[in-house]
Amino acid sequence: MALLEVHDLRVGFKTEDGFVGAVNGLSYSVESGSTLGIVGESGSGKSVNALTIMRLIPIPPGRIDGGTINLRGQNLLLKSEAEMRKIRGKDVAMIFQDPMTSLNPVLTVGDQISEAVRLHLKLGKKDALDKTVDMLRLVRIPLPEKRVKEYPHQLSGGMRQRVMIAMALSCDPDVLIADEPTTALDVTIQAQILDLMNEMQARLGSAIVLITHDLGVVAETCKNVLVMYAGNQVEYGSAAQIFAEPRHPYTMGLLSSLPRLDATDQTRLVPIEGQPPNLLRLPPGCSFAPRCKYRMPICDQPVPLYDFGEGHLARCFLYDERTEGERKLAVETRPAIPGTAAEPPKTAVA
Amino acid sequence: MNCFVRVPADDLIVVKDLYKYFPINAGILSRHVADVKAVDGIDFSIRKGETLGLVGESGSGKTTAGRVVLRLLDATKGEVIFEGRDIQKLGREEIRKLRKEMQIIFQDPYASLNPRMTVGDIVGEPLSIHGIARGKAAEERVQELLRLVGLQPYHANRYPHEFSGGQRQRIGIARALAVSPKFIVADEPVSALDVSIQAQVVNLLQDLQEQLGLTYLFIAHDLSVVRHISTRVAVMYVGKIVEIADRDDLYENPLHPYTQALLSAIPIPDPAVEQRRKRIILTGDIPSPVNPPPGCRFHTRCPVAFERCKVEVPANLTYGNGHIAACHWVEEHGGRAPDITAGPAVVA
Repeated sequence: MALLEVHDLRVGFKTEDGFVGAVNGLSYSVESGSTLGIVGESGSGKSVNALTIMRLIPIPPGRIDGGTINLRGQNLLLKSEAEMRKIRGKDVAMIFQDPMTSLNPVLTVGDQISEAVRLHLKLGKKDALDKTVDMLRLVRIPLPEKRVKEYPHQLSGGMRQRVMIAMALSCDPDVLIADEPTTALDVTIQAQILDLMNEMQARLGSAIVLITHDLGVVAETCKNVLVMYAGNQVEYGSAAQIFAEPRHPYTMGLLSSLPRLDATDQTRLVPIEGQPPNLLRLPPGCSFAPRCKYRMPICDQPVPLYDFGEGHLARCFLYDERTEGERKLAVETRPAIPGTAAEPPKTAVA
Repeated sequence: MNCFVRVPADDLIVVKDLYKYFPINAGILSRHVADVKAVDGIDFSIRKGETLGLVGESGSGKTTAGRVVLRLLDATKGEVIFEGRDIQKLGREEIRKLRKEMQIIFQDPYASLNPRMTVGDIVGEPLSIHGIARGKAAEERVQELLRLVGLQPYHANRYPHEFSGGQRQRIGIARALAVSPKFIVADEPVSALDVSIQAQVVNLLQDLQEQLGLTYLFIAHDLSVVRHISTRVAVMYVGKIVEIADRDDLYENPLHPYTQALLSAIPIPDPAVEQRRKRIILTGDIPSPVNPPPGCRFHTRCPVAFERCKVEVPANLTYGNGHIAACHWVEEHGGRAPDITAGPAVVA
């Protein structure tokens, strides 16, 4: 049994303009010691998914419409707030995106970390402080005995993110949810933090759910990848499958629109045309259809997930036996990586 | 590789020994106690029609450099020569005329458009300020500009909030193009956009450069985008340029250890390539520009630093084909790059 299993999760929000489905049927599982990457652009529902696991969605306006989140077989959605308080930080911990705003500015970093340690590990004040200093040393903060008494504003961005990681890991959580943990950081600092997260995972055997928009970070750190678009799971597979053999046109489009550091020629980028969808007015059927160059009449209908074996799934009618989609794709060059492949022809099928 | 001889007459902009310090005042008398040395002596030039990529991490001074080059900020010291004139010496009226020649595209398309003005007014304002067109002619010019950046003429009557991030960035680009400038500073023009939209804007900037013969200073922290769009690339670290070279030369053969570390830190979206890459993890944080380290600014994090680096500021030396680097190690080893990695970019 997988450590964390999310099945058919549905979350939405009531707004002035109507109901917005932020997450529409999401299923995945994560094992101990492995990392799942959740990739998507703004509004794809990736952060709502994270906050729902932590049960941090404000209800109302939020609404959980269905699904289960099983941690070791226990459905977190059925827990009371009091029970959740014991689970949060201990069994499931979260690293937030912005280390500048997610630490409390009026408490020292030592107070913030030791709060969790005292609550969950039932340590006394002195022991909690020792544990906090150990954690800061573990995340390689220099002079931890001194830093523990400092306030967040006295630390650099990279150091604050280390404090966040120290706090999240202080009670040895089984599952660590990292929501864009390096997006606010510079690349040389990002490399330090990703390296640290890998090291911590190897040491503690945590399962990590890494939420990001950066496909490079995913390629570097994740075993499995879930691609989200407008609240839907459009593709799921191992990192090797997703990057070498993307099946969903959105995943293909993302990969071909990225300039690569190792591209030796300046081939024109192939962007995904159109604009991101308005979640209030999603088309029926596939939400990517309005931007998709393979769009077919059948795309107005609800799209099932198609299985490509070895856990690789994609939600696209191109693979339905009723359409000629797959034949259409077969004549095109895939994957379309800038610098290596020519732009696929606009009209397919020779 | 292009090996043409550099003709100085081709340079649209030459920046010489440029400094920009921001004073820090403290105490009840607001005494001058220190300076933020945002730009601390940089030299570069941009040829007509090329794109110079300026990369660096936060606090490296790249945005300040862009603003001083446009004289949106006055330099503390140094020269910015645009078409033969030092723009630091121009008077108010001359500066106003200069704005027709050089424009800027801002990073944040949400904050850089006035929410109470229609798109037509935003794009048309530079036309009336500079007396380029009025009335019907201005309206037509606005529509032409909107078409040029891939929007529809009827968008002129709408307000910025009705547009997505990518479309707003197109509006910002149309506004910059309104006065038909020769030179545009693009300050992180795609970093606030979603990945699928970034490519649209990058392609647009390249098409416009080709159609209108524009020269760009492209400021960004994303080295993949910079490689894609630039002719040459300059790397900044804490107020100084540490390396400048032709694009492929810089990415294939980086000389400065900071450039090497920076390139190696960027993950490539391909797990097969990622497994083979060796990453240099720099220790420590980026130093503060208020109190930069003496000698070479990178010596506190550099894996090959030696005694000389702690005391002597390295000079910008040219190592063939206009490849400039400021590093004592490279100098003492006859232009060879220190081997601190197996190579930043392995081609699949």
